[in-house]
Amino acid sequence: MTAKPDPFIHPITRLSICGLLAAGADWVEFAALRDAAGISDSVLSKQSRVLEDAGYVEVRKGAVGRRPRTWFRLTAEGRQALEGHLAWLAQLEEAVSASTRDVTQARPLPGDRDQPRRVPPPLLDSS
Amino acid sequence: MHDVARDPAALELLRAQRSRLADRMRPPWWYLTGVAILYALIFASPFSSRYLHQGDYWAILVATLAVACLLQWGLDRATGIKVGPRPLRVLRDGLFYYRPGRPARIAILVVSLAAIVTEASLIRHGLLAAAIVVAALAVAAEVALQQAALRGIRQDLRGGGGAA
Repeated sequence: MTAKPDPFIHPITRLSICGLLAAGADWVEFAALRDAAGISDSVLSKQSRVLEDAGYVEVRKGAVGRRPRTWFRLTAEGRQALEGHLAWLAQLEEAVSASTRDVTQARPLPGDRDQPRRVPPPLLDSS
Repeated sequence: MHDVARDPAALELLRAQRSRLADRMRPPWWYLTGVAILYALIFASPFSSRYLHQGDYWAILVATLAVACLLQWGLDRATGIKVGPRPLRVLRDGLFYYRPGRPARIAILVVSLAAIVTEASLIRHGLLAAAIVVAALAVAAEVALQQAALRGIRQDLRGGGGAA
């Protein structure tokens, strides 16, 4: 698995949806996903459609009596993309905390003005 | 659109959301009652095979399967999460392919077998009251173990099921 950002999963709502679907459940129902992600019905509908079109999420619609029920599942492709994206995020988080640590440590103390400044490593490869 | 790269707490947020999802995986009151009924039917099999006609014995077996399916269906609908070992995957990948709560599920199987063998032995020796006590204790143990298995599933959901 390579750590790389995925443009479909990058927005935080879609990351939440994919992350929740990858949490270990086979299928997650619309209301459960909406409540856990803390988003509205319309946002979940819109973002899940984007993920479905990308082939990351499988949608199964049914009804119990007159109440419609929609279930979501992450596809194998979606799982792979999410794992890569989460690995990239973890690297980013680590790089951010390392650079914060370096900046804190590099803060000049009285009498330290002549010491060279530490430069944090670049977060992303520009290529 | 909120950009995740600008939010250093994105992974932390995801952990909190998974925790909320896991909290939904709490069984309703009727589920544990149903589990008790299910195991009562299972542990009634040594009695029914000895004291009931063949037809009645099969009727109890069918009822047991029906209760098991109804319980799983009801739990899926009540929680909004389909999780745990699925019957078709069990047929394909074996009884213990599903990792979360595996120790509890192995214990469920061991207690079931031990209780049924003990009951059958006690019934053979005419100790009917002792066999009933064993069945009652086994039902209580199975309900506790089922709760432990669900706790394992909740823990797995919270941890992300291996996906970060």
